[in-house]
Amino acid sequence: MRAKPNFIIAGLLILAAVFYLMVSSTQETAHYFLTVEEVLTLDETASQRPVTVSGAVLGESITYDSALPRVTFTIVQVPGDPQEVEAQGGLAQVLHTAVQNPAAPRLTVVYDDIRPELLQHEAQAIIRGHQGADGRFYADEVLLKCPSRYEEALPEQTEG
Amino acid sequence: MLSEVGTLLIGLGLAATLYAAAATLWGLTYKDDRWLQSGKNATDTVPALTGGALLLLALAFLNDRFEIAYVAQHASRALPLELKLSALWAGQEGSLLLWGFLQALFAALATHRPAKLEVAAPGASLSNALPLLAPETGAGSIGEETTPNLTETVRPLIPWATVFLNGITAFFIAVTLGFSNPFALSSVVPADGLGLNPLLRHAGMIFHPPAMYVGYVGVAVPFAFALAALVTGRVEGWTAAVRSWALVAWIGLGLGLLLGMRWAYDVLGWGGYWGWDPVENAGLMPWLTMTAFLHGAAMQDERRGFQGWSFALIIASFVLVLFGTFATRSGLIQSVHAYARSNLGTPFMAAIVVTLAGSLALLLWRRGALAPAPAQTASPSLLSREGMFFLTLVLFATLTLSVFVGSVLPTLTSWIGSRPFEAGPAWFDRVTGPQFAALLLLLGLCPLIGRSAAVLQQLWSRSWPIFAGTTLTIGATALAGFTQPAALIGLGLVGLAGSTALLEYALAIKARRDNTGESPFRALGELLRRQPRRYAGYLVHLGVVLMGVGIIGTRLYPLEQDVTLTWGETAKVGDYTLLLENMQQESVDDSLGTWANVDLYRNGRYVSTLMPRINRYRALEQSIGVPALQPGLREDLYLILAGWSNDGSEATFKVILNPLANFLWVGGLVFLAGGALALRPMKARQADPRREPQRAVGLLVAFSLLIGAGWTMWGLPHGTVNRDTARPIPGSPAPSFELPLLDGSSFTLKTPPEGITVVSFWAPWCATCQQSLPVMRSVWEAYHDRGVTFVGIAYQSEETEVRAAVDEYGIPYPVGLDREDALANRYGITGVPESFVIDTQGRVAFLHVGPVSAEQFVQELETLLEGETP
Repeated sequence: MRAKPNFIIAGLLILAAVFYLMVSSTQETAHYFLTVEEVLTLDETASQRPVTVSGAVLGESITYDSALPRVTFTIVQVPGDPQEVEAQGGLAQVLHTAVQNPAAPRLTVVYDDIRPELLQHEAQAIIRGHQGADGRFYADEVLLKCPSRYEEALPEQTEG
Repeated sequence: MLSEVGTLLIGLGLAATLYAAAATLWGLTYKDDRWLQSGKNATDTVPALTGGALLLLALAFLNDRFEIAYVAQHASRALPLELKLSALWAGQEGSLLLWGFLQALFAALATHRPAKLEVAAPGASLSNALPLLAPETGAGSIGEETTPNLTETVRPLIPWATVFLNGITAFFIAVTLGFSNPFALSSVVPADGLGLNPLLRHAGMIFHPPAMYVGYVGVAVPFAFALAALVTGRVEGWTAAVRSWALVAWIGLGLGLLLGMRWAYDVLGWGGYWGWDPVENAGLMPWLTMTAFLHGAAMQDERRGFQGWSFALIIASFVLVLFGTFATRSGLIQSVHAYARSNLGTPFMAAIVVTLAGSLALLLWRRGALAPAPAQTASPSLLSREGMFFLTLVLFATLTLSVFVGSVLPTLTSWIGSRPFEAGPAWFDRVTGPQFAALLLLLGLCPLIGRSAAVLQQLWSRSWPIFAGTTLTIGATALAGFTQPAALIGLGLVGLAGSTALLEYALAIKARRDNTGESPFRALGELLRRQPRRYAGYLVHLGVVLMGVGIIGTRLYPLEQDVTLTWGETAKVGDYTLLLENMQQESVDDSLGTWANVDLYRNGRYVSTLMPRINRYRALEQSIGVPALQPGLREDLYLILAGWSNDGSEATFKVILNPLANFLWVGGLVFLAGGALALRPMKARQADPRREPQRAVGLLVAFSLLIGAGWTMWGLPHGTVNRDTARPIPGSPAPSFELPLLDGSSFTLKTPPEGITVVSFWAPWCATCQQSLPVMRSVWEAYHDRGVTFVGIAYQSEETEVRAAVDEYGIPYPVGLDREDALANRYGITGVPESFVIDTQGRVAFLHVGPVSAEQFVQELETLLEGETP
């Protein structure tokens, strides 16, 4: 392609356009990827942004009103860095320790949708949504994994 | 014993593939044909050894050999046969073994050397070559796609390809053996296995993983030949030689993605099919680069340059295959597939580094050979065929880049020191949407421009049907109610691309007919036979167009609504009415299933009965929702059972209307059928009668796979049944009838009736009916002199028992026997008690499945009576 400047220009223009799309979409639609602790310390302005938060599900906290439908549950702080998770003995171990630690930061999640099937004690929840003014986290989307049951627990994705 | 033999077979496979690579390398270095032959022989034994191991594992599953940990974790005694077989690749260990086996098989098939004898006959086939490894090329847009003699190009590449393919096979077998041996023993032998993950119990999961793996291992073949081309410096002809393999890989990836989407749609219960999940993206990226590769290779085969692109794209495809596995198994990326963080990260990362460094070094070393030929240095316009293909390749590359960046955004943003950002579906839609739209535009314009570098006037004279088609598509969809600007732009592009492809067919068929007088069908067949790449390619484009319609409809116009219903209650969603008939529960195998029977009506007419359910798997302590689906050309109605009240009298549903969803699935199949047709060998090889049976088998396999895919999409019931009759829902006319009564007279429900009428189906043997008879009686006493008529219809009962019950409960209103369920069928009832309140216009005003309280009746009758006297 060396001898074709018009091709190079067109290619660079497309690349620039795509780069612009990626940057602007990141600014406008991408979520902060945070831990429970970080969500709790978000200031007023930052809490307007959509956030993705990950934590361990506390089984006893799950309530479900099927008529609305609305699920509320509490998630507990787990480290955000995969290497730290690994250092603490793997995801299953980290989740197990988290739910037994009463001092760990906790966050109440409200999800106006059908109760996800994998929502259970010690599941890892990855939640997209935003922090409400009432201190509760309003979820648009909940992703769950249960590493204990299957060596590779399959998925569930729910969108709201 | 089984475990040891299995492990031994895998070990022998590893030894054989390593030997094959080493022997071939030795043969190449010392120019010794015996070593080359020995290497080839060893290559051929690897699929037998790994296939043997796979077969043993299958036997272990069939015989419930739970001493093998992998079997215990993925199967149980109660699991049906076909699911036991699909459990073979339900986990990482089995998947990797399957991958290794397929890789070995493809390596053995792809490295058959064409016999020297054939070289003498120009254009003749290579009888010793596998049908797929045929030197083929297209002669461009002008004439027939023919096969120049490329034997001399292919032959020297094969030993080097053997080395690289065996290296790749060795990697997968070594990883299987070292990190994830499927034959590892359980520490304690359980009495029964854990069973297959319920989410994987779907027909799509039988075909989806093998299709994906065929795609993945298929990519390795053109990649190995590309490296061989770089090593030997023969950079020109290899793309033509591996065209069929690249197509096989591309079809495998496409079929895998399509079935995966369908599985998500049927099983995951969120009404969507693509969530931009990292594992989905991992499969999409190599498919995008392979699509680009096929386009670039077409250009290269026409000797229009693009060699650099072909090399870059095939290297990218293979690295992306490795990256997909690395990313999803290493825990680097969060995913719905939720593969546990496994120890595969390190070997795959190492493989990626080695592959990238090695291939790029080779590419740099040979960069001189890739310099454009003098003829290509003239700067063609962007509006030329080359220009269009160039833009297509750039867009596929930027799309891949976008998906890649989106998948690793959290890691990427934390590297550059920002707070980690995560890309949700909105990010992907925003970034990729315009690029897909631009590709559709090119897809519409490209054949026009390629066809007529001629004057604009000619362009217009040829293209008016295209503009007409575009306008027509936009008009039709706008009239059908799809009026969002994004949808109109998208569908306009779809119309443009679709009409272009159709026009191409029409013009070519006409040209053939003018020349030869063939029938249109014969002309089409001849076009596909003589120029498979071009005309099967247009079929692929048509498939893309249809999929585009489906994607625009489902992405821009989905309607989602939560409804809560009691038995007999109805709710309207769009044009549909849902009627909850009842809830049922049943224990099957290892689960307790709870489902709702929901009658679906469209514009008042019964469509079908949907049965969304939730299965509770006892051993797994897990509940899985199974949505019900009513497919339709205009839209799919997708019904999910959300929950129910404790007594089961009330249930909540999520209803999703997915407009035009079926275009996506039909388009996907058209798309793959186009790919399969392109697999047909080109003209020059057709002359060889010895190829006929192989070709027939190939086509048969391809089309049975497509039929299988079609079956998983539409052949399965998806939780629906069709009843012969259904209840008239509120608002629709009540069927008129004449009923002989117990006292010898008869009751007639006319249209319109003489007043408000309560039709009550009951039976003396039904305890609930017995409890509600006094209620009916009290309501009758209050309303019979206010113009309300009551009639009791005894359902499946003996006359003597009915008479006895009438006497015992003192039923004051007329009662008759429903002989042979004639009225029960007309009213679509499925049990008793059920009652219908019919207004003075003869329409059903209220209906009740099960008992009704007196208060409820009073309220309903008062509403009707008030409405009557304004």
